[in-house]
Amino acid sequence: MALVSGPGRAGALPDELQLAVEAHVKYIQSLDTRRDELEYWLTEHLRLNGLYWGVTALHLLNRPDALPRTETIDFVLSCQAENGGFGAAPGHDAHLLSTVSGIQILAMVDGYEELEKRGKVVAFEGKEYKGKEVVGRYLSGLQNKETGTFAGDEWGEEDTRFLYAGLNGLNLLGLLDLVNVDLAVDYIVSCANFDGGYGVSPGAESHSGQIFTCLAALSIAKRIDTVDKDKLGQWLSERQVEQGGLNGRPEKLEDVCYSWWVASSMTMIGRLHWIDGKKLTEFILRCQDPVGGGFADRPGDMVDVFHTCFGVAGLSLLEFEGLEEVDAV
Amino acid sequence: MGKYEGDPVWDDVVPIPQDDGEGALAAIAYTDEYAEAMGYLRAVMAAKEYSPRVLDLTEHIISMNAAHYTVWLYRASTLLALNSSIPVELEWVNNVALDNQKNYQIWHHRQILIDHLYDSMSSDPAALKSLAESEVAFMTEMFNEDSKNYHVWSYRQWVVRKLDLFDKGEIECIETLLRQDVRNNSAWSHRFFVVFSNPKYCTPGSKATEYDPKIPGEILDREIEFAKAATFEAPQNQSPWNYLRGVLKKGGRKLSSLECFAGEFVKIPEVGEEDIKSSHALDFLADVWAQKGENEKADKALTLLGDKYDRIRKNYWDWRRTSLK
Repeated sequence: MALVSGPGRAGALPDELQLAVEAHVKYIQSLDTRRDELEYWLTEHLRLNGLYWGVTALHLLNRPDALPRTETIDFVLSCQAENGGFGAAPGHDAHLLSTVSGIQILAMVDGYEELEKRGKVVAFEGKEYKGKEVVGRYLSGLQNKETGTFAGDEWGEEDTRFLYAGLNGLNLLGLLDLVNVDLAVDYIVSCANFDGGYGVSPGAESHSGQIFTCLAALSIAKRIDTVDKDKLGQWLSERQVEQGGLNGRPEKLEDVCYSWWVASSMTMIGRLHWIDGKKLTEFILRCQDPVGGGFADRPGDMVDVFHTCFGVAGLSLLEFEGLEEVDAV
Repeated sequence: MGKYEGDPVWDDVVPIPQDDGEGALAAIAYTDEYAEAMGYLRAVMAAKEYSPRVLDLTEHIISMNAAHYTVWLYRASTLLALNSSIPVELEWVNNVALDNQKNYQIWHHRQILIDHLYDSMSSDPAALKSLAESEVAFMTEMFNEDSKNYHVWSYRQWVVRKLDLFDKGEIECIETLLRQDVRNNSAWSHRFFVVFSNPKYCTPGSKATEYDPKIPGEILDREIEFAKAATFEAPQNQSPWNYLRGVLKKGGRKLSSLECFAGEFVKIPEVGEEDIKSSHALDFLADVWAQKGENEKADKALTLLGDKYDRIRKNYWDWRRTSLK
C-alpha cells in the first residue's frame, strides 16, 4: 500500500451529497500499483501503516475482501524483524508504530494463526518464544519502567502516541499484563492541561490528535474515570468551525482527519452529541473525490489514503448509512 | 551509472536493494538516485560501518527525503561513534529543519545532540548560557515561518526544562510572539507551562489542572492582568479566556472575582436588545452566576449562546441548561 497522494482532487460534488463507495474501494486497490511514482518510494518508511489505513477503510466500507487476504498476511509477516517487532517494509528496523499496524492488520484479517505458524522465533531473557508472545515481548520491552510511557524504538523517543500504540497493540494481542498499566495511566494523567485537553508530554499544548491517543489509552486501561469529561468535552466541541469541519487546535484550519480524532474522543467520553453531526457529515462528504475515489484534508485538496481512512471512520462514527460501525478506541 | 556505483570511495560496498516483492524500479531519474543511495545505506548498516562517508551518504538521503527515521537514527549513531563536532552538525540541522517544517525526526535528532553537548559542558555556566541563546535564536527563526509549529513548541518545553530557562527572558519571548498574533494558542499554552512549572516557586509535581498554594499572589495578579488586556484586544479569542480560568484554578481564586471584568463584554438589559461582544464572556458569566445560585440569569445566558451566539454547539449549551437545575 502506497501513501502516494492524488491523482484526484476533492470536490465537484452533485447537489445531493453521497458517499462514493465504489470509487473509494477502487482508489485503495490501485495504490500499490503506482510503483513508478517517486512518492511511492519516498513513503516506504510508512508502508505498513499505509496498508493498515487502506485495510481499515475497506472494512468500514463493507468490502473487506477488496484486498487479497493471503498476500496481505504474507506482506505483514515479511516485515517482521529479527527482534520480533515489525518494520515499515521488509528489511527495515522494527518500530513501535509499524509493529502495531502489523498487529492491527493481522487482527482485522484474522491472521493470528499464520503469525503463530510463520512468525519469527525470538529469545527474551534466555527463553524462546513464538507467535503473538514474541511481538508482545518486543512491545513490552519498549515501556519505560520508571515513567510508564513507551519509546518508539531502541532510541527512546517518547510521547503519548507511542503509549497509546503500545497499549493498543498489547491489548489486541491479549497480552496487556506484560506491562505496567497503572504507571502508564499516571503518565497520561500528568499530560492533562489547564484547558481540559492533553498534549504530547506533560506541559505540551492540547492537541486533538494527542487527546485521542490519551483517551484511547485510558479506555484500554479502563481508567476513563480520570478525565474531566465536561471540561474536555467543551474544548473538543469548540473544535467545530462554521463550515462544519473540525480543527486540531484553536485558531487552526479544519481537516478531515480531525473528524476522527475529535469525534472518536467525544464518543469515548459520551459527548459526541454536543457537536453538529449533520454539518460535520456534509463537510466530510465535500472532501471526497466522487469520481477517482479517496478523501482529502479539506475540499479542493489532493486525496490520500490517510485522509481516506479517517474520513470513512469519521462517517462511521456519525452512523452514516451503509458503513460498518467503528470502535472509537 | 549511479552516483555511488561510479565512485571509488564506495567501491568496496555492494548495495542491498529494497525487497518489496514484484515491481520494477522507477522510470524517474530522481527515484533511481534515491533507490541507489538507500541500497548503499542498507549495506553500511548491515556491516555496522560508522565512517565519514556514512555522514555524506545520510546527508544526501535526507536531502531527498527527510522523513525516513532510520536514516536519522543511523546518522546519530555514526556522529557519536566518530565523536564529530556537534555544533557543526547543529548548523546543518538548522537548515534542514527550516526546509522541512512538518518533520519531527529532526527534533528528536536535535535532542540527542543537545543531550550530548550538555553532558560535555554541564559545569560551565557561560557555555550553557550561550547554548541556550543559540537554541532560542534558532527557534525564533522557526517561529518566523510558522509560529504554531507543534514540534518546535514541544522541543522548546524540553529545552526549558533541560537548560532551566524558567526566567524573564522566556516570558518576554512569549510576549513578543503574542504581540505578533494574540490568537497564537501555542504561545498561551507555553506561557502557562513556564509560569506554573517554575521550580523556584511552584510545588514540585503540581498538575496543570490543580490548585497550587505556593504560587505567589503577585504572579497570579500579573497573569490575570496580562490575559485581561489580551481579551480587550480580541474579545472573541478563546485562548486568554481559557488561560484566565486556568490561572484562577491554579491560584485557588473564585470565577466571581472576574465577574465585573467579564461584564464589560456583555450587556443584557431588562428590556430591549442585548449587546454581546464575546460568547466566551457570556459562557464565563453563566458559570459565575450558576455558582452564585443565580440560575435564572445563567439560564438566560446559556439560551442566548445556544440560540444566537454559538448555534453550532446548541446541544452543549442545552445540556448546560439542564445541569442548572
